[in-house]
Amino acid sequence: MKKFIIAFCALAFFAACRKLDIPPQNIIQDQDIFGSSAGIQAYMARLYSELPIEDFRYSPARGLNFFWIISPTPATTGEAISRDQTSSMQENFGGWSWDIWGGSYTVIRDCDYFIQTLPTYASTFSQAQVSQWLGEAYFVRGMTYFGLVKRFGGVPIVNKVLNYVPGESADSLEIPRSSEEACWNQVDSDFTYAMTNLPAVNGDYADGSRANKYVAAAFESRAMLYAGSAAEYNTITLFDNNHNQLCGMPSNLAAGYFQKAYSAAQSLDGVYSLYLTAWSATDPNAQYQNFVNLFSDASSKESIFVREYQYPNSVHGYDAYNVPRQLIGPNGYSAEVNPTLDFVEMFDGIPENADGTIQNLDATGHYKLFDNTMDLFATAEPRLRATVILPGDAFKGQNIEIRRAIYTGSSAGGISPLLPAGSRAQYPTSQLVVSSTAAQTPYTLPDGTLMNPAGLSGIFTGDQTCAISGFSVRKWLNPNLPTAQVLENNETQTWIEMRYAEVLLNRAEAAMELANLGAGGSLADAMADVNQIRSRAGAVPWTVAGPSPIDTIRKERRKELAFENKTYWDLKRWRIFAQEQNGREYRILMPFYSSTAGKYFFDARTDERNDVYTYDPRWYYEQLPGGAISKSTNVIQNPGY
Amino acid sequence: MKKIFFAAFALFAFACNKIDNYPAPSDTITGKTLDEVTGETVQTEIGGGGTRVELLETSYSANPVPIYFQSMQDGSFNNTKVFGATYNVQVQGPFVPLIQMDNSGNVISDSSQNIVLKGTADLTFKVQPYLRVQIVGQPVINPDTTVTVQVTVTRGTNNPGYQQDVTDINLYVSNTQYDGNNNYDPRYSARSSYSGSTGTALLGQTLTLTTVGGALPAQDVYFRVGARINAGLNEYNYSVPVSITYP
Repeated sequence: MKKFIIAFCALAFFAACRKLDIPPQNIIQDQDIFGSSAGIQAYMARLYSELPIEDFRYSPARGLNFFWIISPTPATTGEAISRDQTSSMQENFGGWSWDIWGGSYTVIRDCDYFIQTLPTYASTFSQAQVSQWLGEAYFVRGMTYFGLVKRFGGVPIVNKVLNYVPGESADSLEIPRSSEEACWNQVDSDFTYAMTNLPAVNGDYADGSRANKYVAAAFESRAMLYAGSAAEYNTITLFDNNHNQLCGMPSNLAAGYFQKAYSAAQSLDGVYSLYLTAWSATDPNAQYQNFVNLFSDASSKESIFVREYQYPNSVHGYDAYNVPRQLIGPNGYSAEVNPTLDFVEMFDGIPENADGTIQNLDATGHYKLFDNTMDLFATAEPRLRATVILPGDAFKGQNIEIRRAIYTGSSAGGISPLLPAGSRAQYPTSQLVVSSTAAQTPYTLPDGTLMNPAGLSGIFTGDQTCAISGFSVRKWLNPNLPTAQVLENNETQTWIEMRYAEVLLNRAEAAMELANLGAGGSLADAMADVNQIRSRAGAVPWTVAGPSPIDTIRKERRKELAFENKTYWDLKRWRIFAQEQNGREYRILMPFYSSTAGKYFFDARTDERNDVYTYDPRWYYEQLPGGAISKSTNVIQNPGY
Repeated sequence: MKKIFFAAFALFAFACNKIDNYPAPSDTITGKTLDEVTGETVQTEIGGGGTRVELLETSYSANPVPIYFQSMQDGSFNNTKVFGATYNVQVQGPFVPLIQMDNSGNVISDSSQNIVLKGTADLTFKVQPYLRVQIVGQPVINPDTTVTVQVTVTRGTNNPGYQQDVTDINLYVSNTQYDGNNNYDPRYSARSSYSGSTGTALLGQTLTLTTVGGALPAQDVYFRVGARINAGLNEYNYSVPVSITYP
């Protein structure tokens, strides 16, 4: 019996103890992830998918990685107007389940965990692999801090995994915000680590979807440019009780940041280049086609860092939301982004008045008449045509027809403006034949032919699903996507987050800012960089410095990077958003057809909806989500909220 | 079985009857933000872009989460639903901040007030507005039914940190008295932005501002002039709103 008892005891206690002390089978263990390169790839896939980049699935209204883009970013910056966006706005954290705070710190924790754990398993892999993967984790963490600091200023810096022990005080986990300067320096140090440790070509994916040392350098140039601008132009300050400056930085830091931006940009020289595959120095059509192709050619040496999509796991619906109305897809939408006349007027090659506005009137104050709506843009810069669909231009084999109304009044002796200059009133109803919707009743012209009052892509007076500004966006649209496939959640076109043109513009801006600060840098350098961009765009070269070269560089940036969700951040960091949108009503260009003259004319006016854009300067530093503060009262709110 | 049901119902009944263990806030903070020179209230706009009152409950934490409530547009404030407690109170708006800090975050002057709230506290804050905006005389209706307003804008402070250039002087038109940069009729309001020192050069002069966009509609409207400098959160200082009756 005793034997049995001993045996039983042995079985029950000793064996059982060993058996119970096994890792839970339902939780993936470090060994599963860090023990094989497939596990690492899975970890990386998550890190990259959570990168806070403002891509096809971003809008300030609904945040990152959200499919529904009907208040598009360009409609908050003045690049465009949209039927669903009628005013300036700050980012809508907390709306539409956008958790910017918790989301970012989850990614930072994932990076910290990776950085802490991978060295334990280093012997399984080659030194080069370990070095690259660590570099990527630092890169992703740097990007995530960058995403936070450009929104909030100083945020808590958490560079190690925090563990809560049940029953113990959580005080040590309530990390207060660091100064804005410390956060920019954190971004700098993470990117610098990545630049040092990443290979020139990513060993796992060399197609630009994963980081290499030049990708890190390109983002270093962007981040340090943002930091320099914040130091130089910010006027809002916030200190905590320990004298940490959470918002704002001493302006004497600007030169150091601009220098880092410049050096980082310079390091990409000769590695990447502007896309010129279909380009010709003498042929504007080739320049146009080249700029169009740039956004879809996977072999482009201009694409530095991209986000790829895959049907059906990761998709977007850019074309569905943005095709011109006449090419509307089966599930609706279309024409969400309608470029403003203010934006179009920035480009070269359009007849303009002395004040830079479009010249649509002749010397006697009557409308200029055109056989064709494209005639006004006959000499427009090719890049404009590749960025904006102008009224009457060709897309997907159709002429995109944009017309506000048929004017039936007399054209003898010229047609006088429909409204007094600057008027915000509605157009008169007499002598204009309009259409309220896309279902049109044709009008009989004097010669007996029939013509729809409005174009196939608008403008309709009762339905804003059309080119409400007189223009439709062209950039990113896929000319080869059949209309039946123009659907939400159906597209996989690659997003180019960083391209060499931006690096050149970063370099030009940093060089000019340094020159202005008397800290090195040169105007000649800046002009050479900008002229590379202009030459490719088919624009007029920059030869005379002008009174404010920095404004020339900024304008070039706004043209080149338009509709790439970059202008929003540029206007913010230059701290000119509030001046740009100071009770601003954006302008539009309405094409009309004169039935008696048999010709077209254009009326330039403010947005017919009378939408007013007023940017609140508080928004330069976004409001911290309330949850961040209630979780840790050591975190204090930004000024004015 | 029935007993159990009754017991269950009894539980629900008690749950419903439970009252909050703390009385609702019923104390009052009222007061005004006054221009320390003229003694008049500092005009502001309603909503987030105007003067607000900040309460810090200092008795339980050195770093409490602030409580805010908004001032009325005439510069007075009144909140009748405040918990009785120990507060540090200040106002924030288009005037020199009551708490001044140097470039490294050290407090160099502090005119906030510490109160122990019990019943009603009537507080007066004397401040230096960035700008004083005063309408001169009455608005004049022109023959074309536009309206002309005369106004003077002067600095309200000698503080060297708040002598930035004037960036905007705007005549706002609205059909309510709640007239300001957050609420105006863009068709008729005359707005002017200035760069460099051109706006500053207008200080002290009697400016003549006329509505834009042609004849005003045949209804009573309010006029108000707002001006601002590029300081702090770029808030506007305002004149008292004036109305005219359509003839």
